[in-house]
Amino acid sequence: MTGIELLSFNTAEIQAILLSLKVAFYCALVSLPFALWLAHIMARRSFYGKSIIESLVHLPLVLPPVTTGYLLLLMFGTNGWIGQWLYSTFNIKIAFSFYAAVLASIIVSFPLIVRSIRTAIEMVDTDLEDASRILGVNRLKTFFRITVPLALPGIISGTVLAFARSLGEFGATITFAGNIAGETQTLPLAIYSNMQVPGQEGTTLRLVLVSVVLSFIVMAISEWMVRRMKARKFN
Amino acid sequence: MVETKFKLKQGNFNFAINEKFDAGITGIYGPSGAGKTSLLKAISGLIKPQEGVININGNEVFNAENNTNIPVEKRRIGYVFQEGRLFPHLSIEQNLNYGFNKHSPKQLSFDAVVDLLNLRSLLKRKPSAISGGERQRTALGRALLSSPDILLLDEPFSAVDIHLRSQIIPFLLKIHKSIDIPILVVSHDLPDLLKLSSRLCLINNGHCIGHDDYHELLKKETSLKLFASDAIMNAITMTVKAIDPAKGLTILSNNGDESDVRVKCEKSKLTYGIGEELKLFISSDDIALSEKKVEGITIQNQLQGNITDIIKRESTSLCIVDVGFKLVVEITAESQKRMNIEVGSLVWCLFKSVAIDVAG
Repeated sequence: MTGIELLSFNTAEIQAILLSLKVAFYCALVSLPFALWLAHIMARRSFYGKSIIESLVHLPLVLPPVTTGYLLLLMFGTNGWIGQWLYSTFNIKIAFSFYAAVLASIIVSFPLIVRSIRTAIEMVDTDLEDASRILGVNRLKTFFRITVPLALPGIISGTVLAFARSLGEFGATITFAGNIAGETQTLPLAIYSNMQVPGQEGTTLRLVLVSVVLSFIVMAISEWMVRRMKARKFN
Repeated sequence: MVETKFKLKQGNFNFAINEKFDAGITGIYGPSGAGKTSLLKAISGLIKPQEGVININGNEVFNAENNTNIPVEKRRIGYVFQEGRLFPHLSIEQNLNYGFNKHSPKQLSFDAVVDLLNLRSLLKRKPSAISGGERQRTALGRALLSSPDILLLDEPFSAVDIHLRSQIIPFLLKIHKSIDIPILVVSHDLPDLLKLSSRLCLINNGHCIGHDDYHELLKKETSLKLFASDAIMNAITMTVKAIDPAKGLTILSNNGDESDVRVKCEKSKLTYGIGEELKLFISSDDIALSEKKVEGITIQNQLQGNITDIIKRESTSLCIVDVGFKLVVEITAESQKRMNIEVGSLVWCLFKSVAIDVAG
């Protein structure tokens, strides 16, 4: 395969790449506020049943993704208890749609973003938060003016991790969102589909390379931003 | 005024207090672990007592009986922590402005605080780029700009090395002159506290064992035991009467010519104005007693007075001598016996000009 052939993407391939980026973007965007909220509670509060919530959040990390996808299908499928309610009340179908791809990514990457942000918040000295409150600033504003800026490198790397995990998501997506070209066929799914078809080795290799390059760029950007944040914060 | 009457239990530690603190500086003195910081934390709302009431300027901020517990951010407290606790991601200017509330009445403007604490040249820097003393001054400025009803300082000197302390103390005295609010300063260093105020509240084993003027506290056995670990200091306020740059002396007066005190100062400090009030510190064991005025001696300060009290310590005696103001003089029990020193004896107190330390 020549270099030119390697770079000649067809529409379906470009569609899969763009869709992957779009799913990953929405996954990171929607996860972030929930993860911030949950990570803060986990880092700063102690309450009855905390370990149960902790285990639930971390479950997708150890469950086979296909199981996560299946459970999501049970809940959000047209016959599932949430899916049924959403369809009858708002006429919304989640399963086997773009939203399902985003939702599957969110659930699978959530433990990663929560863990990263939680560790970052735990590193922020609670004494500084007390100092802020004594100066007349309430808990919520203290969170955004002191805790978030000081935990920012961890928050960024957590969000990027969620983005990157979403780019690589396969099992839960194919089970819950299906493999519909242009709608739910993300990059890993497109690679898988092309692998099944004889004669598509070129396409497969192209997409594999794109996948490697994209993941590398995302992680490099994350690393660079975290370094910059740390340098700017204290100097 | 701050009224505290509460009981606090934290694990095995019990703390109980029933004291009022007026405007002006009160030193909270006691050994480590006595409960000094617990008192400040309870006033500020960082910890919640199990019983009792806390009033700040007539506002009930805590009352266990009717479940009143005003949140920390609404108590209008200025708190300077031991380690400063500046926000590392903000500049000195942003730190100072952090608690600045446009709507609350101001006792001091931003510019007044910056000038008072000599912070102008640091405003654009980050906390990591300034010294320990400067950080502590910034923390003080930040607390002042939040327009507090009360200022709490928790070991403000301990994070600062010994020669930088002298940079903090004059600033605290200036603040005290600029605003009329209660200022509670916690420290386990008695000489430092006395440089700020002679009004002390003594805390030991979770209780207040005395709250009075330093000289009064010296008369009580319980408080004297607490002071035992430190050198007993004299803290006297005097007015500058004359300056003699040629001899490097500042002549201070308390009342009348009889009790003039000559202080040897470094050249840089010979800039005091006539009439300026200064606080002098002299250790009780740097003063000698004599039956007569001594001629032909290098000691320049010789003040005559009556002994009003004698407090026995292990092998020494503390004599309180009224020389127009009260001086504590530590002599050995043997000297006291030999010279037959009793309450009512007329003595001369001798101390060298170089033994005096000046603040303010």
